[in-house]
Amino acid sequence: MSDHALPRPWVSAAVRSRRRRIAIGLAARYSVLVLTIIITVFPLVWLFLTSLRSSADLFAVPVHIIPESVTISQYINIFRQYSLADYVWNTIIVSLTTVIFVTVLALPCAYAMARFRLPGQKVILSLLLIMRMIPIVALAIPLFAVFSSFDMLDTVWALILTHTAAKLPVAIWLLMGFIQDLPKEVEESAQVDGASILRTLVQIVSPMIAPGLGASAVITFLFTWNDFLIALTLTSSTDAQTLPVGLTNFVTQYGIDWGPMAAAGVLMVIPTIIFVWFAQGLLVKGLVTGAVRG
Amino acid sequence: MAVALPLHPRGRRPRSPLTTRQQGYLLAAPALLIMIAIFVYPLAYSFVMSFFQWDLSARSTTFLGLANYADTLTSPSFDQSLRNQIIFSVVSLTTEVVAGMSIALLLNSKLRGLRIARTLLLIPPMIAPAVVGLNFRWLFNTQYGLFDALLRTAGLPPIPWLSDPNWALASVIIADVWQNTPLLVLLFLAGLQSVPQEPLEAAAVDGASAWRTFWEIILPLLRPVIFVALMLRIIDTFRTFDVVWLMTQGGPGGATTLITVNAYLLAFQSVDFGHAAAVSYIALIISLLLMGALYGVPRLWRTSAA
Repeated sequence: MSDHALPRPWVSAAVRSRRRRIAIGLAARYSVLVLTIIITVFPLVWLFLTSLRSSADLFAVPVHIIPESVTISQYINIFRQYSLADYVWNTIIVSLTTVIFVTVLALPCAYAMARFRLPGQKVILSLLLIMRMIPIVALAIPLFAVFSSFDMLDTVWALILTHTAAKLPVAIWLLMGFIQDLPKEVEESAQVDGASILRTLVQIVSPMIAPGLGASAVITFLFTWNDFLIALTLTSSTDAQTLPVGLTNFVTQYGIDWGPMAAAGVLMVIPTIIFVWFAQGLLVKGLVTGAVRG
Repeated sequence: MAVALPLHPRGRRPRSPLTTRQQGYLLAAPALLIMIAIFVYPLAYSFVMSFFQWDLSARSTTFLGLANYADTLTSPSFDQSLRNQIIFSVVSLTTEVVAGMSIALLLNSKLRGLRIARTLLLIPPMIAPAVVGLNFRWLFNTQYGLFDALLRTAGLPPIPWLSDPNWALASVIIADVWQNTPLLVLLFLAGLQSVPQEPLEAAAVDGASAWRTFWEIILPLLRPVIFVALMLRIIDTFRTFDVVWLMTQGGPGGATTLITVNAYLLAFQSVDFGHAAAVSYIALIISLLLMGALYGVPRLWRTSAA
């Protein structure tokens, strides 16, 4: 800036107006920040408030923004009246088993893709990317037929197998990226020492790509936990139905039982919030792969 | 799927009995087999069945050739769902990218509370779309919902969010925009933070307006991030089902039936798997074409720049 060459009063005026502009800019930025946070959080806060209302308070006209009284009766109700424990249990079993399967299967596959020169590799990797794009409904329709011919409809195994296959492509791409970033020398020296490939993979590679394994596990867990369409098509009773499908049970022909619905919705959201809070970095990494590396 | 990997005795024989190529395939095999069995095979099966008259009860199937596809392309319900899908995809994608970029640009400075905001912004994209759908259905409820209550308090007439066909599609888009814009804000923020400072300072010294700096310096640098964002969102808008199903089930009168909803209804309400398979393949082909176009664009860009 060559302002010092100009007469003084002009400078101070310019500086003043510049300061004012910066102050206005900063105020604008902070208001955008606050507004963004409010819009992001508000619907969820509303869901939470709804879950704490008594049924009388829920159907008050005009709507009470602040609940008149706070009660946990809706939460008790979902377990007593709607046997929500079954849905919660199924969801946990399906999500955790899928995470284990995906990790155990994706790691060696990603290692092979990253470290071996295999004919057909490129084709496989592009097919994996295309699989990520396929609408779930396109898969759900034939799977319904396949699982029904094996008499496996309405079992958690149908869900676990489907989710494993559907989540593998992203996990393989994700882990492959992490393995490619490792220096090859460590693995090579391990193999010179006579370690088998499997041992190298488990004892040497895995610890070094722990963040990648974490990211793939978190992504797999949350997307399995959140799934609605696969469970909706492949299950029909509390034997295997998961929580998101359980939510539709609050929609009856007489209308929607909003109180229990809100309570169940809050239960659905809790793991998400926990993971977002503690594994933010891993999540973002996992979300973007597949698109970036393609 | 127990694929035993031959472990050679440690130290004794440094060379494995298998060639490295075979080892590679063995390592990849379990994952590939499961994907073939549960992903590729069913899809191929339904592709074949999309040329047949296919309902689950009847054992006999009749070969129809392209009739299912022809029916689909001329059916008014598919027409409507395609129209809805295009409006849904274009409007939500545009809103999300423009809003996401504007918010990211405004937040891209050292603001107190930005870290907390980042964490909070990650919550909506990670929440189950089913919960988002039901929650917005509750917010949009005409009698007890918050939005109409606020409108009434402000002395305005309530809006028939989910019962009016035009509003219903808008409501579904609002829910989608609420859920997905934050992800784009985060992506764009990350992109903006890796933009080098020198060209920006040079532009400031030259007295370039903020608007010009954005169009001529920031935007070209952000091209890869925008590309990723578009890819993610195009894929996902064509997969959207849960939010719509829980808000409107495709209604009223098919006003919010997206292609996926159309396929689901055909398969599980009309029990007409042949047509449903045809519809889902058409959806797949459309999104593959879009992807192809999107992949082609940067290449064209590069060759024309070179």
